[in-house]
Amino acid sequence: MSAHVTERLALAAAGALDAGEAERVAAHLGECEACAARAAEWRQLADAMHRLPQPRPDPVLVARTREAVEALVAERAERAFNQAALGFAVALAWTLAIVGWFVFDLVAGELALRLARPIGSAAAWYAAYLLAGWVAAAAAAVMLGRRTQEEGRLV
Amino acid sequence: MDADREDAAKLGKGDTSGLAGLMNRHQDRLFRYLLRLVGDTSVAEDVFQQTWLNVAERIRRYDPARPFAPWLVTVARNLALDQLRRRKMLSLEEAEEPLAPASASDPHERAMARQSAARVDAALGALGPLDREVLTLRFEDELELPELAATLAVPLPTAKARLYRALERLRAKLLTSPAPGGRR
Repeated sequence: MSAHVTERLALAAAGALDAGEAERVAAHLGECEACAARAAEWRQLADAMHRLPQPRPDPVLVARTREAVEALVAERAERAFNQAALGFAVALAWTLAIVGWFVFDLVAGELALRLARPIGSAAAWYAAYLLAGWVAAAAAAVMLGRRTQEEGRLV
Repeated sequence: MDADREDAAKLGKGDTSGLAGLMNRHQDRLFRYLLRLVGDTSVAEDVFQQTWLNVAERIRRYDPARPFAPWLVTVARNLALDQLRRRKMLSLEEAEEPLAPASASDPHERAMARQSAARVDAALGALGPLDREVLTLRFEDELELPELAATLAVPLPTAKARLYRALERLRAKLLTSPAPGGRR
């Protein structure tokens, strides 16, 4: 008779032996009553493991989880949109600032020629334009900040 | 599963209908796994919710060439183990818990053959989290040994040894717990 395979029986019942080991165990069980009886016990334990009560999540928990994830996804989408909008606004502001200088230089020169009198330097008009831009941007930032604060209070 | 990949792609694009599909297919298995691992319903519920939030946050890191379920279990497992460590529910002492002698053969041992699933469930609950985890992954989720090893992030021989020790400890618990009707 081959050597006892006691230590392999638990894994055999769990279906966790490789093909060679499983064959050796099966061959031994055919000739050893003691190991065969023990293997039957392990198989019954394994069967009981397969028949364990199956707990399921509470539907309230599932609904709450879905709501939380949907809120997270919506927040992430809004954050991505805000970041894109901010990037676009910054790029636009720089473009306008650079293009603005040439436009003011051209318009101020042409206008002075057509009116036949000085209307002030292009640099002064440009500085006023930039200042107005900064004031508008600051006002927009303050309004957005207040809105965000109010939304935070509502949540 | 193709449906999982499609739903994961939808969720990655911010379409929450993808979440509904993923949850419908995986919520029961995930909850059962977490409950077995942490052994406490309220903790399992917390980790269940946090797992899906993490899935939504990290869905772009999911590799659609691989199945979704093991990735989901990995996310859940990391969160659950963090919770267990934080709550000091994860004890390493269980590794030193004595196993019942493998060669014992007496009436108690024969009683093992008459185990009801409910009794086995109670004995399972008395095991350590890592033992419960390996047993539920093998018997309830029916993971093959290589998948089991991948989920536990250990080499295959380690997964096998862990499964063997968990089975022996479960058997030891059954042998020392009262049998139905007061008999042992």
